[in-house]
Amino acid sequence: MAGRASFGKLWRAAPLIAGATAVLLLITGVLVVYSGEASYRREKIEEVDAQARILASTVVAALTFDDRNAAEIYVGALDVNPEIEAAAIYDGNGQPFAIYRRAPTLSVPAPAPELGPSHADDRLSVTTAVMQGPTPLGRVYVRAVLEPLRSRYERYAVIGLLVVMAALVTAVLGVTQSALSLSYRELEQANAELKAQIAEREKVEEALRQAQKMEAIGQLTGGVAHDFNNILQVVLGNLGNVERQLQRGGLTDSGLLERGIKAAIRASERAAVLTGQLLAFSRRQPLAPKPVDVNRLIGGMSDLLHRTLGERVEVETILGARLWQTLADANQLESALLNLAVNARDAMPSGGKLTIETANAYLDEAYAAIEEDMRAGQFVVVAVSDTGTGMSPEVIRKAFDPFFTTKDIGQGTGLGLSQVYGFIKQSGGHAKIYSELGEGTTIKLYLPRLLTAGAVDDPPVVRSALRGGAEIILVVEDEADVRGFVVDMLRELGYEVIEAADGPAALSVLEARPDIKLLFTDVGLPGSFNGRQLADEASRRRPDLKILYTTGYARNAIVHQGRLDPGVELINKPFTYMALAARIRAVLDGTPSG
Amino acid sequence: MRFGRSGTIRRGRLAPAAGVALLSYCLLTMTAWGQEGQLELAVKATYLVKFAAFVEWPASAFESASGPLNLCIVGAPLAGVADQVAAGQTVGQHPLAVRHIAAATHGLGCHIIFTAGAPQQSVEAAIDAVRGEPVLTVTDLPQTAPRRGIINFVLQSNHVRFDIDDREATRDGLRISSQLLALAVNVSPR
Repeated sequence: MAGRASFGKLWRAAPLIAGATAVLLLITGVLVVYSGEASYRREKIEEVDAQARILASTVVAALTFDDRNAAEIYVGALDVNPEIEAAAIYDGNGQPFAIYRRAPTLSVPAPAPELGPSHADDRLSVTTAVMQGPTPLGRVYVRAVLEPLRSRYERYAVIGLLVVMAALVTAVLGVTQSALSLSYRELEQANAELKAQIAEREKVEEALRQAQKMEAIGQLTGGVAHDFNNILQVVLGNLGNVERQLQRGGLTDSGLLERGIKAAIRASERAAVLTGQLLAFSRRQPLAPKPVDVNRLIGGMSDLLHRTLGERVEVETILGARLWQTLADANQLESALLNLAVNARDAMPSGGKLTIETANAYLDEAYAAIEEDMRAGQFVVVAVSDTGTGMSPEVIRKAFDPFFTTKDIGQGTGLGLSQVYGFIKQSGGHAKIYSELGEGTTIKLYLPRLLTAGAVDDPPVVRSALRGGAEIILVVEDEADVRGFVVDMLRELGYEVIEAADGPAALSVLEARPDIKLLFTDVGLPGSFNGRQLADEASRRRPDLKILYTTGYARNAIVHQGRLDPGVELINKPFTYMALAARIRAVLDGTPSG
Repeated sequence: MRFGRSGTIRRGRLAPAAGVALLSYCLLTMTAWGQEGQLELAVKATYLVKFAAFVEWPASAFESASGPLNLCIVGAPLAGVADQVAAGQTVGQHPLAVRHIAAATHGLGCHIIFTAGAPQQSVEAAIDAVRGEPVLTVTDLPQTAPRRGIINFVLQSNHVRFDIDDREATRDGLRISSQLLALAVNVSPR
């Protein structure tokens, strides 16, 4: 950065440097011309002086012996030098002794001029003494024509032109550079502004996201509170009635009691469905995916669908041939299809037709690329279509949102499609809605193809026979009420029950009672041991110990990538007396059910 | 810038004036003699003195590095003019001395001998007397004379000029300046 800063400084100083360089160039040019002129004169003086000295040394004898002819021949010999226009030899009295003139109009000074060089216009003359030993005999005068000032200046003008051009180029460079520097600064400024705008936009977007999140959370919590309050109203109200009846002194109206209790139970079951859907939407429900033949599953739902949809809705199933298997939680898939069926029914208040179609499908990369949140691959497609009212694009966009409903208050929870969406996504598939107002709706579920075909389980058989046992069961549950309920139920079923509130207590009980056959533990336990850790430790000590987990919501301990760990037996809260009895028996007998 | 030997140089213009020293001296002497012939003598005497500066003698010709340069005049043809011209003159390190002798003889120590013929010795005899010695013999004989000195005065266009026998000079061990040779009317080349 320091290098860049100093470069920037240099960049900004460049026009100044260019200007200074141009001025320096001009000064240098002037100096070069000046020194060229000076050295030209100096050289000329030396040249003419040399000529004069040579002449002076050759005319000694001629002067000595007064031989004017010889002197004239000597001085006339200067004619070979075109630069010399006149010369003269003067005798001891300073009078001309011999004269050379290139043209008759020229003259030489008389008497002899002062010794040394002298300038006049474009003429340079040198006067030197003629000596014989120490004795001066006379003088020699030589005058040369300098190169005309004009032609000299023309020569300098070439240099000057070059210098001026160089200076001009430098100046132009400087100006260009200055302009560049300016636009660079402008660019920098624009860049900074852009960055600031981006940061501002990011802030706004973040705020928007936060607001949307808060809105979604508000909608979710509002919806949950609304539905739960209704449920609790029913539960509390009916249980209150029952309590008052009992306080009034016995069973005055056994019918009223039973109605109250059943209403409370129904309400609680609705609450259980609600929480199950919430978990499904949040993709946090523990799935137990197994190879599923979708055609067979739909075939098995036939009765249920007819019952649910009523008489005014015709059901048609078009099941694709040689349908691939998929890997999914069969119970959840049933729930999803049932939810879709219920929605379809509600969209056809005056009757219609529901079509369930299955097919194999291959989504290529190009298709996956244009669809949001889709990946390419082979899928089993289940399309559920109705001939109902259809949805507007806006409704389609929000249809999968939790608690979004177009139904009247009390008619729907708004969690049906959320469950479908959450489950499909958790299973590695896609869900897509095709609908237009008045044209009905098709919802397609894409379930990933199972490439290694496995044995398809039979649909779970509902065990009607309620069987208990006499084995010893250790119940570990930190919630005292839940623990009390479980203990009561198990005792009612005939089991011997030992209870513990946390992991360490459970372990010491296990140590003390080697005859415990089954560990029934909550996954979420307080303290250092959670249910999984407790079970692992117990299994290490007692490899033959059977284990059944329960949980309201298990995130990490026994569920990974949305699936129950292999070999893990789990009963989800809330569970009923019947369900608990069946699972306990199954685990004890080693015949676990899905 | 060289000139050919002066035999080829064309001469003939009259000199309107002479060198300053010479002129002033000539004016003095003219008052003394008052005749044209005497002016010519004076010029010759002056030349005689000045020749020394343009001639190089072998070092052995002098007694020492600053030994005198002897100008010997056989008889008295220049009537003492040479003495006045030479007074106080030096040639290089050598003071110029004028000696009047009756006859030139071998080993006399003369560097320049001027002879115009004397009662005791003819010009030819004088020349012969110093033959082979580094002596500049100067004569004033007609150009037709068979035996002349190394330098022989001639009168050309009313000017005193001279011939130079450079061959004889070289034979006697003298070196005559090219400038002087250039002024000679005739030169016998080496």
